[in-house]
Amino acid sequence: MTGRGKPPPPGPIRPYEFPPVADEPLGNGMRVRVVQKQPLGLVTAMVVLRAGESAAPAGCEGLAVLAGDALEGGTTRLSSVELACRLEDIGASFGAATGWDSTTVAVSCLADNLVDALPLLAEMVRSPAFDQAEFDRYKAQRLATAAHRRMDPASLAADFHARSIYGDGDTYARPLGGTEASLGALEADHARQYAAARYGPARAAVVVVGDVESEEVRQLADREFGDWGEQSANPPEAVVAGREPGRSIHVVHRPGSVQSEIRVGHVGVSRFIEDYLPLTVVNLVLGGSFSSRLNLNLREHHGFTYGVRSTFAARRNRGPFVVSTAVENSVTAAAVREIFREVEALSESGPTADEVQTATSYLAGVFPLRMESTGQVASRIAGLIVFGLPVDYYRDYRDRIREVTREQAVAAARRHIRPRELCTVVVGDAEAVAPGLEDLKIGPVTIHDLQS
Amino acid sequence: MRGMIEVEEHTLANGLRLVMAPDLTTPVTSVNLWYGVGSRNEAPGRTGFAHLFEHMMFQGSAHVPRNGHFQLIEEVGGSANATTWFDRTNYFETVPSHHLDLALWLESDRMGWMLPAMNGEKLENQRQVVMNERKERYDNQPYGDWDERIQALLFPETHPYHHSVIGTLEDIAAATLDDVRDFFSTYYLPNNAVLSICGDFDPDHARDRVEHYFGAIQPGPDPPAIPGIDQIPFSTGATLREDVPGAVPLPRVYAAARVPPFTTDLFYPGDVVAHCLGTGRTSRLYDRLVRRRLAKSASCHLLPLTSGASLFMVIATGFPDTDVDDLETAVTTELDNAVTLTEEAVERAVTGAETRMLRALQQVATRADLLSMYATHFGDATRLNDDLGRLRQVTLDEVRSWSRNHLNPGNRALVRYIPEQSS
Repeated sequence: MTGRGKPPPPGPIRPYEFPPVADEPLGNGMRVRVVQKQPLGLVTAMVVLRAGESAAPAGCEGLAVLAGDALEGGTTRLSSVELACRLEDIGASFGAATGWDSTTVAVSCLADNLVDALPLLAEMVRSPAFDQAEFDRYKAQRLATAAHRRMDPASLAADFHARSIYGDGDTYARPLGGTEASLGALEADHARQYAAARYGPARAAVVVVGDVESEEVRQLADREFGDWGEQSANPPEAVVAGREPGRSIHVVHRPGSVQSEIRVGHVGVSRFIEDYLPLTVVNLVLGGSFSSRLNLNLREHHGFTYGVRSTFAARRNRGPFVVSTAVENSVTAAAVREIFREVEALSESGPTADEVQTATSYLAGVFPLRMESTGQVASRIAGLIVFGLPVDYYRDYRDRIREVTREQAVAAARRHIRPRELCTVVVGDAEAVAPGLEDLKIGPVTIHDLQS
Repeated sequence: MRGMIEVEEHTLANGLRLVMAPDLTTPVTSVNLWYGVGSRNEAPGRTGFAHLFEHMMFQGSAHVPRNGHFQLIEEVGGSANATTWFDRTNYFETVPSHHLDLALWLESDRMGWMLPAMNGEKLENQRQVVMNERKERYDNQPYGDWDERIQALLFPETHPYHHSVIGTLEDIAAATLDDVRDFFSTYYLPNNAVLSICGDFDPDHARDRVEHYFGAIQPGPDPPAIPGIDQIPFSTGATLREDVPGAVPLPRVYAAARVPPFTTDLFYPGDVVAHCLGTGRTSRLYDRLVRRRLAKSASCHLLPLTSGASLFMVIATGFPDTDVDDLETAVTTELDNAVTLTEEAVERAVTGAETRMLRALQQVATRADLLSMYATHFGDATRLNDDLGRLRQVTLDEVRSWSRNHLNPGNRALVRYIPEQSS
């Protein structure tokens, strides 16, 4: 067949522009950001609060997450059931999500129903009841989740790794949702105090994306949030002191495991570093795509695993850099060896010019693929608020990605990947895997009981 | 009607069905292929093969090097993947719209020219990958093997849904290169596939390119009948049960029923029941199990399966101190009580389903996949546009009689995961 021998050339490129973002704060400082989008008549409205788990007081770990959950538990006017009925009668989906740096509460519905949904969203955020019985219900759910994490090998590995790379007093050393001990001590009053201190118009935003008029949305937002009283104190930031750097391997003994959950990494970067885009390129090459070095090596060359990936978690303080995978017992040591080989090679020489070209082309290309739904766009805009990035950040994002050079990527790899500080956690059968890990001579191997 | 999708359908001379739905909103195009083959087609002793074969489809074809598929798509900023399920296997790429030709070329190359690139070394490699997938997702995961247990309990050994999509390690180990060749020649035929294209493209150009890339691929005989007996009564005769004591943190109950398949009109009342029971904060299971702290979480699912019967299922997870018998009673009480669902609950469930469907349709990849599904199972992609209407037409009487007929204790399989005391 003519032309079958090689990939066909692209057709004429069609321009893509991130839609304009209307941005005008209310009198109390709360931001209102509106994006007009979509022929399907949908809308997503999201309140973004700079009230994340990092701001939970010591001894109250998990409080921000639990308070976020409990926002669904009713307001001073409406019970949890009444609130759910009003929203679901108009076909709306709703929910709160809490991370290290923010709590977001979102409603998604037909744009025609925004006029009914936004007041309910505002009521959830401004007048939560934090009824003790409802609070206890969410608390019991979070406690059960924490119990689950202790027995789920992937969660266990992630939590143990965080504990191993961060210092004892570091915020990110603990699981986002708190521990059974910290959750056990929380009461509805804690949530009330937390919300009073952290939920407020300053540094907060309402983001509305969909088939709407920005002026109408602004008026609606002004009506619902304009008289929300000022709360001024800056939220406390996450603490990161780290640990004494040095390579170590921790095996969490899970007798009878047929696989090892592996995590390799160290304390990474904050979202505020200047070379965030070059580092994004570096991570894509290492383990951020199917065709990454790690995946081609461990999966497609060696057949060690179903998949392997690397991430630099973007947070306001230095989130973890982690390579994660699950492999059979017999190849556990070999997989760790290959991970070290790839991480060391990339930190030493950085990506090749071809790899940088492929990675930047990928990142620029997939950007519009991830901006199709109102929820996707709203989440991106919420991220800008959380990290204090400019409102027009995404307008020329793709150009800035394409401008990343090999030199910048090499420098980012050298600066932010530190092979001498890689900490390895393996959750698996220690009897089967520890001897091989010892033989690697990477660093001291410590075996831990599952319960520790 | 809101969300109405304009669809153009053609059939090529070799039997390949083409479904096109242009939408110029975003310069993104999705290409989606459904092959009419899934785990239901697997021969005895070859469970998991349809899925292993799906992995082999990424190992190159006559003009595409090994891993070239992902590399070429990622280089242009696209995404690609595939999934295997009971009745079908789907392959999809979403790309910046000016790279539509690349996606079509890649899909056509493996549909027409896959076998020349196959060898034993590639099979060994992907066999290891898939065995690791099984271990990661099933064997080393609390509750990981639930679907295997539910399927084995609910469907008799003679039924094509008796075994899981992932298959057993023994069967995965037994697969040969000859199996790969036979499977390809039997099922990977243009006349056993639907190709859907959604998003930003010109239909005339796309149709021309599809003819160009796929037109020369030879059709084959209709695939053989599904092994086993797919017609079974929507009744298990009694409540079937299996208790799984083990290293799980929380008690969990899976309750399943055999119900009318996706391709019958009786599917729609079932869909409404599933939404009433399990979707949202006003649903019965949330209201009566989660709000009352009988369960940490509870959900309800009706799968769109087509071979004789489909699978209706409730999943409820308890707290560490929940007695599994209490959890079971809470679940079965709600199954028994579905006959008392109200007009209000039905109305709310359908309203919610409409909005959720529109939300899903925002993404061209979802749209393309749904069009392929309707074209494959009904021979008519435009049925997607009627589906919400069908849900709207379901009456309360139909909801109640469906519940009476299908959610009773004589049509039930229960798998209970029970935490062991020592852990």
